[in-house]
Amino acid sequence: KAVIDRIIRVDHAGEFGANRIYAGQMAVLGRSSAGPVIQQMWNQEKDHLKKFNELMVAYRVRPTILLPFWNVAGFVLGAGSALLGKKGAMACTVAVEESISDHYNSQIRTLVEGDPEKYKELLQIIKQFRDDEREHHDIGLEHDAEAAPAYSVLKTAIQLGCKAAIFLSERI
Amino acid sequence: MAAAAAGSLRRAGWGLWRGRAVVRWQLSPPQRPLQASAVLRRVSDEHKKEPLASSSQQQFDSHPADHQPGQEPQGPDPSYTGQGSQESEDYESEEQLQHRILTAALEFVPEHGWTAEAIAEGAKALGLSAAAAGMFQSDGSQLILHFLSQCNTKLSELLEQEQKLVQQGEAEKKPIDQFLRDAVEARLRMVIPYLERWPQALSILLMPHNIPSSLSLLSSMIDDILHYAGDQSTDINWYTRRAVLTGIYNTTELVMMQDSSPDFEDTWRFLENRIADAMKMGDTANQVQSTGEAIVQGLMGAAVTIKNLTGLNQRR
Repeated sequence: KAVIDRIIRVDHAGEFGANRIYAGQMAVLGRSSAGPVIQQMWNQEKDHLKKFNELMVAYRVRPTILLPFWNVAGFVLGAGSALLGKKGAMACTVAVEESISDHYNSQIRTLVEGDPEKYKELLQIIKQFRDDEREHHDIGLEHDAEAAPAYSVLKTAIQLGCKAAIFLSERI
Repeated sequence: MAAAAAGSLRRAGWGLWRGRAVVRWQLSPPQRPLQASAVLRRVSDEHKKEPLASSSQQQFDSHPADHQPGQEPQGPDPSYTGQGSQESEDYESEEQLQHRILTAALEFVPEHGWTAEAIAEGAKALGLSAAAAGMFQSDGSQLILHFLSQCNTKLSELLEQEQKLVQQGEAEKKPIDQFLRDAVEARLRMVIPYLERWPQALSILLMPHNIPSSLSLLSSMIDDILHYAGDQSTDINWYTRRAVLTGIYNTTELVMMQDSSPDFEDTWRFLENRIADAMKMGDTANQVQSTGEAIVQGLMGAAVTIKNLTGLNQRR
């Protein structure tokens, strides 16, 4: 039960953060050529968040108390990366989505090693979401993320932040 | 004969101990709610429900060690095998034994307080030696925590039953303030038989080594109440609602301890007022937010107007 708690709490926080990141990117780049692409990815994240809200109520999981913080931090990250230009925003997307898909993969591993039959529905949902995030990652690469200024520094920094966020949201 | 059976039971219990770790207080043990619900389900209709201790003892009337006066020789439901391991193997786990002793000890709390003496009396009532009280901590905290855990389980079942009735259409869904009021009142009423000794219990619960357990029991109870009330928040509201309800519960408990009105009317009225305050607070917060937004829009409009008037807005 504790494992499921953690999984749902951190995934909920992750989708919430991703939502805010895309919101920040749209605020800056909404009227540019990248607008529609970002909007479409944002819509998918909104669906993900809705699903996790339902799961959270169904499994009676406590949300992380850091949500207000992720609210602001996500928006700032999205807007900040978008200010570096379209490629900056795509680089941020690539970094975040890569972190998230790795994270989902390790959760899938945990659940499969545990009791795949019991958690069949949850496994299906996470697998589906992991595929979606992977797709976002690829879209980011397609849109010249790697040509962004200071791409490797940016990517490492963002992924470090994601790791810290995941660690904290699982526990707090 | 009862003594010999008790002796064999004790030996079996001691035997199981040798391999066991130190007593762990399990806060949400899978066994305990099962046991508690088994206890409650086995109370047959002809037995009274109050006081809590003697009603939970009814389930042991098929057990050879029990020799309460006026008991039927057979249990009310011999086909029930909720604690089948007891009947078939004559073994019980350390936890089950502790559970039984503490439940029996509750009856002696009004007289002896939440102390090791009450536990010893409980052990004696089950036919065990008073030295069995040595299993527990000497300050009686385990007895109190056991009582709290039992009350919470009872409350959960009550709320679950109510929910089933509503789902089956046999009852009306209560408005949320009424629901919270009834749930808190039901939970507080369980304390009434022990009310004289309750201040002692609360002060013991405030001791540093008890705080984690008592906080955990309190928070799971509040979470239960809000869950059955239909709370579906997944943001910071989750925390604020629980904090508010915890505050209401604690203050009402304190009021109850000083209340001398008939059937604690003053307490329930206090509770009603606090819940009404909390509901109003939610509305007020919304109103403040929408007022704030309206003000911001007004200011932005004023700023644009001024820019237009002073000609700063023109681009040439």
